[in-house]
Amino acid sequence: MELFTPELGLVFWMFVSFGLLFAILAKFAWPYIIKSLAERGEMIDKGVLYAKNAKEQLDNAKVEAQKYVAEAQKQQADILRDAAKMKSQIIEEAKTAAQEEAKKVMDAAKLAIEQARKESELQFRNEVSSFALSIAEKMLKKNMEGDKAQAELVDKLLKEVENKN
Amino acid sequence: MKKVLTILSTLLLLLALGTPVASAAEGESGESGSINPKEIIFEHLGDGYGWEVPFSHSHRIPLPVIVRDYEGGWHVFSSARLMHGGEYDGFKIAEGGEYNGKVVGMQPDGNGGMTEYRPLDLSITKNVAALWISALVVALMAFWLVRWYKRNGMKAPRKGLGAFEVTVAYIYDGVIKPTLGTKAKKFAPYLLTVFFFILTMNLLGLIVIFPGGANLTGNLAVTLVLSIFTFLLTNLFGTKHYWKDIFWPDVPWWLKVPIPMMPIIELFGVFTKPAALTVRLFANMMGGHMIVIVLTLLIFIFTAIGGLAIGGLTTVVSLAFSLFMLLIDTLVSFIQAYVFTMLSTLFISLAQAGGEHGSEAVAEAKDSTGMLRAE
Repeated sequence: MELFTPELGLVFWMFVSFGLLFAILAKFAWPYIIKSLAERGEMIDKGVLYAKNAKEQLDNAKVEAQKYVAEAQKQQADILRDAAKMKSQIIEEAKTAAQEEAKKVMDAAKLAIEQARKESELQFRNEVSSFALSIAEKMLKKNMEGDKAQAELVDKLLKEVENKN
Repeated sequence: MKKVLTILSTLLLLLALGTPVASAAEGESGESGSINPKEIIFEHLGDGYGWEVPFSHSHRIPLPVIVRDYEGGWHVFSSARLMHGGEYDGFKIAEGGEYNGKVVGMQPDGNGGMTEYRPLDLSITKNVAALWISALVVALMAFWLVRWYKRNGMKAPRKGLGAFEVTVAYIYDGVIKPTLGTKAKKFAPYLLTVFFFILTMNLLGLIVIFPGGANLTGNLAVTLVLSIFTFLLTNLFGTKHYWKDIFWPDVPWWLKVPIPMMPIIELFGVFTKPAALTVRLFANMMGGHMIVIVLTLLIFIFTAIGGLAIGGLTTVVSLAFSLFMLLIDTLVSFIQAYVFTMLSTLFISLAQAGGEHGSEAVAEAKDSTGMLRAE
């Protein structure tokens, strides 16, 4: 059977051709192709990882930003509340201070008025007494030169004045 | 309507194509009046000193004949000189006899007469030329990809080159790397060359006209050389562990001491592995070619028996079947290239086994071998 007996010539050429093809490709082609494929695969893997990380970071950043915003809003609210509290407190304080001050002023005024009243009373009394004295003097002068009745009257008047005081 | 038109035009075309070929076939074997299927089948499956051209049985593309005569002198001449029974330099193509279809010379037989002998024949036959074309195609593809990488860096190739790259990655990442592990880079060049060389030869063999048509992988010489390469790589790079498993396997001592039964079986296995590789590829590809040829021949056989009407009917059926077979052969071309590569990888990896790396891969591999055998 011709089909089942390998022909020597073909075996020889097959050895030569395949050997040559193998040698050439093994030296110049396959290692380079395998290396390039591996490099590209690595690059793609790295790219995917990088994108994944970037997305994660982006998501994190968003969450963080929201957190910061919420915090800031909270702080703002706190500050506003504090300010309002402080405002009412200050007003309250001012009010009490003013009241105290007013009270002090009033007290001082009262004191002064009292003083003045006392002084004026004193003065008035002095004046009245001096008036009375002068009147009495005058009347006395007049009655001294008049009758006895008049002297009695003066006496009576003086008594009255004395009683009054 | 369109379908009917297509079928009708196909039929007409087939008839137009069929007639000249049929008459040519009849003309060829016109003397006996009938065709000789065996001769035709073997002519198509075998090698030749010229390359057939379509629609002609008398013209062939001439190829160089290189022979060494019994005195040690080399003769190189065109095969065109030997066509149609021609003789040149004392060489001719034998018709019938032991060396049917081969170049033979005459030498004195010692009794004063002359006998036919077979010279050392290194002719560039049809198969050798097809071999070179296949090798060239593989080399061009590989260097095309290398050039792409050099020019485009990390950019992935598209279209045809992309398909080639995907196949490389498929074989390297899918077969070689998982089986060989860290040794993958060392053996990948051989295995990739084997895969693409076989695939190209298989596919070129399916093309009927010039650059193809040679039944290369369906030739025992080709598959034999390929498996010899695998055999050499397996055993030359085999580890101590591998050789120990052959000559002193882990079996009860009485299986190896008085009569070395297991070592003999193991040693036998070393040779049956590449033999199985040789025969599997050869038988699959030759079978595919043979079925297609037989289906085509049926047309002429039935025409010879029952006339044109039956012949025409057979044409339709036969062509439908051969088309189907050719499609299957396309698939088989890939599968066989894949199987040869996978088994080569496996045999090499088995010889690389050294303790940790092995058991798992071996179990997996045995599974797939079983599957392939079943197929």
